[in-house]
Amino acid sequence: MLKAENSLGIIFFPAFDWAISPTHPEREERLLYTQDQLREEGLFDIEGIREYKPEVASSEDIERVHFCFPEAEAVATRSHCISAGGAIKAAELVMSGERERAFALVRPPGHHAMKTVQGSRGFCAINIEAIMCEYIREKYGPKRIAIVDTDCHHGDGTQDVYWHDPDTLFISLHQDGRTLYPGTGFPKECGGPKALGRTVNIPLPPNTSDAGFMMVMENAVMPILEDFKPDLIINSAGQDNHFTDPITNMNFSAQGYAALNSMLKPDIAVLEGGYAIQGALPYVNLGISLAMAGVDYSHVREPGFNPETLRESDEIIDYIATLCEGVKDVYFTPPSESIEGVISGEWSVRHRNIFYDTEGFTESQTESLLLCDHCRGLLKVETQREGGPMGFGLEIPAAACDKCRNHGYSLLEEAQVKSRYRYIQLINRRDKDYLRYGF
Amino acid sequence: MLLLGIDVGGTHTDAVAIGPDGLEAQVKVATEHDNLLSSIKNSLGEILRHTDPARIKQLNLSTTLSTNSIVEGNYEDVGVIVSAGPGLDPHSFMTCKDFHVIPGSLDHRGSETKRLDNLALEGAIASCRNSGIKVYAAITKFSPRNPSHEKSIELAIGDNADFITLGHQITGRLNFPRRISTAFYNCAVWRVFNKFADAISATLDEMGLGQIKVNILKADGGTMPLDLSRKVPVQSIFSGPAASVMGIIALSNITHDSIIYDIGGTTTDIAIFAGGSPLIEQEGIHIGSHPTLVRALKVHSIGIGGDSAISIMDGSVRVGPNRLGPSIAFGGEIPTLTDALIWKDSCSCGNIEQSKAGFSAFAAGNVMEADRLADQAIGYAVDRIHDSTRALVDEINQQPVYTIHELLENRKIIPRKIYIMGGPAQAMKMDVFRKFRLSTEVPQNYDVANAIGAALTRTTTELELFADTERGLMFIPSLGHRENIPRNYRIEDAEKDAMNHLLAHLGEMHVASDGSNAQITSSSSFNMVSGSSTVGRNIRVKCQIKPGVDRTYS
Repeated sequence: MLKAENSLGIIFFPAFDWAISPTHPEREERLLYTQDQLREEGLFDIEGIREYKPEVASSEDIERVHFCFPEAEAVATRSHCISAGGAIKAAELVMSGERERAFALVRPPGHHAMKTVQGSRGFCAINIEAIMCEYIREKYGPKRIAIVDTDCHHGDGTQDVYWHDPDTLFISLHQDGRTLYPGTGFPKECGGPKALGRTVNIPLPPNTSDAGFMMVMENAVMPILEDFKPDLIINSAGQDNHFTDPITNMNFSAQGYAALNSMLKPDIAVLEGGYAIQGALPYVNLGISLAMAGVDYSHVREPGFNPETLRESDEIIDYIATLCEGVKDVYFTPPSESIEGVISGEWSVRHRNIFYDTEGFTESQTESLLLCDHCRGLLKVETQREGGPMGFGLEIPAAACDKCRNHGYSLLEEAQVKSRYRYIQLINRRDKDYLRYGF
Repeated sequence: MLLLGIDVGGTHTDAVAIGPDGLEAQVKVATEHDNLLSSIKNSLGEILRHTDPARIKQLNLSTTLSTNSIVEGNYEDVGVIVSAGPGLDPHSFMTCKDFHVIPGSLDHRGSETKRLDNLALEGAIASCRNSGIKVYAAITKFSPRNPSHEKSIELAIGDNADFITLGHQITGRLNFPRRISTAFYNCAVWRVFNKFADAISATLDEMGLGQIKVNILKADGGTMPLDLSRKVPVQSIFSGPAASVMGIIALSNITHDSIIYDIGGTTTDIAIFAGGSPLIEQEGIHIGSHPTLVRALKVHSIGIGGDSAISIMDGSVRVGPNRLGPSIAFGGEIPTLTDALIWKDSCSCGNIEQSKAGFSAFAAGNVMEADRLADQAIGYAVDRIHDSTRALVDEINQQPVYTIHELLENRKIIPRKIYIMGGPAQAMKMDVFRKFRLSTEVPQNYDVANAIGAALTRTTTELELFADTERGLMFIPSLGHRENIPRNYRIEDAEKDAMNHLLAHLGEMHVASDGSNAQITSSSSFNMVSGSSTVGRNIRVKCQIKPGVDRTYS
């Protein structure tokens, strides 16, 4: 009988009754063949590997992270709440000590969902990793968390949620934004004024294969993690870097994904994208599960896998070698100013237009961070969906100083009096006070 | 018209004859472990002395033959030929020395991704032949989606084998390692089981019962005809606990979520009912060191029984899990749970005086009052039973589901009633009731519930249908039935086909069924999309004859 070296909990929730639309990549069929493969392999019979049912995330879990307009219930469907609940269950298994590691094999994904949510973008509505991390911090106290996003698309949502958080290290490996949605994720995007170097973007050229990815892991990701010393490592385990993925251009393999996780040793992995549902997902998910459990994965090979033809050119390897040095600098010697935001009085202000591709509308947003010498600062967001009403969000961080906290409440009062906003949401992590007005 | 039920257990063999108005005869004889046939003969002989043989219509038999043979390693060598393809290393599932892995693979939709290596196959068969192997198991990964590789192996083995088990014939459920061990065990006990079946037929002929229908009990609480059981003897393992559960169904009218206890000599078996139906183990039963795909009622055993020894460690009283000989009441030396119950006057069996004297001496030796010792021992046993039951119910309620609908509906099992059977049932009834505060019932005739269950349970079977309209194929692995289907084949057609094949299969086994016990247990249809257009549907339907008894009486 096989035995896992690390006990592993797998939250498998394929949502067999939910799709964005009948032929959308995010449809009922997506995890069907993964289920067949895991069952046929007898994965859950391996001693130490157990399957669990997800929780259902509550509106409070969502509103602890996101400014949701008009409200959490309107932006997140039941399927999103279960997917986020799957991630929460994974966290709960690891934090309670029931399992050493956990893998939330759930859908729909979440890493394109930003701090402010007006709708769905990039198949995502709410950020399931962020909801999980903040659940952990709310219940188990402050934690240093590293999120390594291995989805082929830049995790712009997770980057945005943690842009101002110095205690969360966000590293994203993705196909270069000049060639793929969402078009962001360059090394110069390295965090807000209070969290410089805590966002590390590693854009890889198309056709990068196993050697390139492992080079990045070895030469950039691991040294950075070693320095950051996180309490928890999370892998946003998107699987669309696979050479058969229909909507991307990378050459990563199931063996590569397994080796990556074997090196990263994430405490928790959460499935993100990946739409080669027959040729890749069954094998990649199996490989990740085995690697996390510490079971031999060397026989996991997808049909059509030929390392010779998939191998990247020397040119790409050279490019990646240079890139690794550059991104290490981003973390170890970050620039003194954020590339985004202008200083206006005591605030750092960003004006942005965000396109929601799944629903096809644009949000215009003004985000301001109070530059404080005693804490990471009060955050406020003014947002408006085109033609829609104005929304206002305020976040007082958990470690906020008294000044920022009090300033937050006076801004809240002011906003209510002015009645300029249709909706107002307050996230006060310090006192766990969560308020909504006008809903 | 009489129905006979025989349950060959570890210590006793119970037999009953049931007529239209109830129990007409019951016998309990000691089981001769090394000669199960004689135990069956003896009990049958007793029954025949009390009944008219001409009225006997059917004999249902629950036997430990296959179980013992596997557990004791008393079986013949099997040639196991597998083909795995990518995934876990198949050598991790090596069941025996003649285990051969042949290159070749199928994927999850049943497409061949690598041809079966005929040269390697020939080599493997030659090696088995040289070792004197006469029975073979052929298992390939994803054979329930496409049996062609298993069939090629069967063809290549040909005359070298007296018997071959093909993985896909066992069940359509996916689980390659379990399919290997199930096929292996099926081959391993095939000869010993068939000899036994021959002997049973001969014995019945001798007794003038040659014309009656004989069925063998399975672990899922149903039966299979003797002729069929000759091909799938592995299905007869662990039928004993299931017989008892079916007995409770026959003896009591169960309609609520309930807990069933069968308190035996060394163990207590716990079963859970959802509504009126017993729960089935999701994957299959474990035997030896391997999990299998043998469908079974979910029965959890704990090491607490009437013969469980009482021990005192650091001042705390424990019961079990060891059995250190019989109770003092029956000539043993170390007090048991039964002796504690006798001390409290809850139970009267064996030599009461001897039991009480021994019990109080043991208490005195440990500087304890005998009353307190008895209370604590019984309390400990009931607590253990209680905690194990809670854990079991929690586990069942935690079972994964795969649709939003099921997750949000969240049907939970909340037991409302307890049924107890087995030797100490009556004696422990009040203690169990006080702990659980749930209505607790000990049915009449509980001491032969196992044989009654065996006599009255019906023939069950299950099948899985798998259809892929892109390829225009429908396949029912366990029946080996493959058929072309039109592109517009829908889930409704699949459900109808599955039910028709299920009932036709029963007909082939000469079992009359009106279809009222047949049910679809799960059914789903997925649109398969390529690019942005739907190219077909992937349909899966499971159906079964649900386990149950043909009549009840109480």
